Amino acid sequence: MLRAAALIEKLGIPTASIIGSGFLKQAEVVSKGLGVPLAIGVYPGAPMVDSEAELIRKVEESLAPGLLEGLIGKIQTLENEDEQPDIKKVVFSGTLDDVQDYFYQKMWTDGLPIIPPTKQRVEAFLSFTDRLPEEVIAVLPQEGREASIESIAVTGVMSGCKPEYMPILIAIIEAMSDPVFRIQDCGSTPGWEPVVIIGGPIIKELDFNFGQGMMRFGRKSNTSIGRFVRMYLRNICGYRIPPGAGDKGSIGQSFLVAMAEDEDSAREFGWPTYAQDRGFESSENIVTVHSVVSISSPIYSAGDRAIDHVQQWADLVGSSFTYWAHTGFKTGMWNPLIVSSPSVAKVIAKEWTKDQVRQYLYDHIKVSAKKITHYAKMTSTPTFSLKNLVDGGILPEEYHLSDDPERLLNVIIHPSMVEIIVSGDPGRNQSRAYMGNHIQGPPTSRKISLPATWPAPRKEY
Amino acid sequence: MSDQQEPKYDVVWPISKRAVKKTLAAKRIPDLNGKVIVELWDVIFRGEVIYPLVREYIKKRFPNVQFVPYTEIGNFHGAREHQVTATIADKLKHFKADAAIVGIGA
Repeated sequence: MLRAAALIEKLGIPTASIIGSGFLKQAEVVSKGLGVPLAIGVYPGAPMVDSEAELIRKVEESLAPGLLEGLIGKIQTLENEDEQPDIKKVVFSGTLDDVQDYFYQKMWTDGLPIIPPTKQRVEAFLSFTDRLPEEVIAVLPQEGREASIESIAVTGVMSGCKPEYMPILIAIIEAMSDPVFRIQDCGSTPGWEPVVIIGGPIIKELDFNFGQGMMRFGRKSNTSIGRFVRMYLRNICGYRIPPGAGDKGSIGQSFLVAMAEDEDSAREFGWPTYAQDRGFESSENIVTVHSVVSISSPIYSAGDRAIDHVQQWADLVGSSFTYWAHTGFKTGMWNPLIVSSPSVAKVIAKEWTKDQVRQYLYDHIKVSAKKITHYAKMTSTPTFSLKNLVDGGILPEEYHLSDDPERLLNVIIHPSMVEIIVSGDPGRNQSRAYMGNHIQGPPTSRKISLPATWPAPRKEY
Repeated sequence: MSDQQEPKYDVVWPISKRAVKKTLAAKRIPDLNGKVIVELWDVIFRGEVIYPLVREYIKKRFPNVQFVPYTEIGNFHGAREHQVTATIADKLKHFKADAAIVGIGA
């Protein structure tokens, strides 16, 4: 929202923005990252829980006077730039404990011990890419910092990655820098977390776990790459929880280990791999980054027919995600990602293609117009209107064929929005579903570019 | 915890450079009479109640101020963000905007 205010201010038009008091610290971070001072009128507390009388009082006593002052009065200039040492410069020397304490005090860690980013370790990471350390992939919100190759190496070191993960780390940041991914929304209140999905031969080459316990901490590649994502969002983008600012996840969740697909099983069953679903060749190494705002319960399903399992998926995806689907209705998209154990996928794939599964889920998960409208009103949008969303071209016509509040709507907006990956315990009949946060963090893929010398000899560090 | 034998680590800065060009804020307008304020709303957090109250408050102090309601710009956040944002400059020009109110972050 403040990006629009900054745009207008830069056009030479004075602007005042409405901000809830709980968001002032984040607003400061964003304003600094946009490079323009912004005038703010403060709404004390949360407007969604105030009575009409309280709301009127708060507008008259705080918000409106603040907005007016922001348009007619003086506006503060931005503080001077903080210290910006060269990324190659040594900023601290000390023992392991000293480094941990220093970084923690500076809010440069995630609270867990980090590997000290020495020059030698950073160079070892850089030896696994042909790209120059100073190359900048993008300038990232919220702090307006450069996503340089070197910053990726430093964060990779700190997160406990191995140097040979560097090509994957670069591909992750390239994907997350894509404007479609909306990295500027990584600090939104739902507290979604990106999950990285790895595809291609590199899964086995770098020892990713795609079997039992694939989403547990424990395997170095899965775990440290998951940690890297959160560390990068924290240090380079500036998404920090208190006493920092920028990350407004109300409750939030912590980093997810990277997923990898059991591609051999998918191929054996005759299904395309997830990377192929995303438009890549099976020989290519791919990362996909995908927001996760909610995770289903474990979904156990039994039977030797496809319908036995897919019906269970429909029931559980529906009961887990229907509430939050209203955010997808407001924006025209949301993606459920189903992780199917090989044993379940094998039964389904005997009878159904992935597209048939998608179509079944689309056809059979329903919600009433009344219910979804209620959910939207509870969250943030008292003016939610399916009619307006259809008229605005955000939802298909079928979402407003009548005004009957009891009419049933498809929870999944289009079958193609369903994603399926084969992974997990081949010895158990369990699946699990992950919900993307509407247009924030939609599945975004990048090819992993390996250096010419791959697999390069590892430098000592 | 530390002793003489413990190795020391020389560590580099883990943050990257800011690439932001600082801009001064636009000149403020002490007298809003005869001026046009354009509203932008992201269609959340009770703006349908809040904006009319703000209008009323400002009009009491500057009776000749004009407001262009938020419906004219449209929702600048969410599904149509890029398209709507791309039209903001032209629309502000069209409405001869002197000032703007943007909301709601809460």
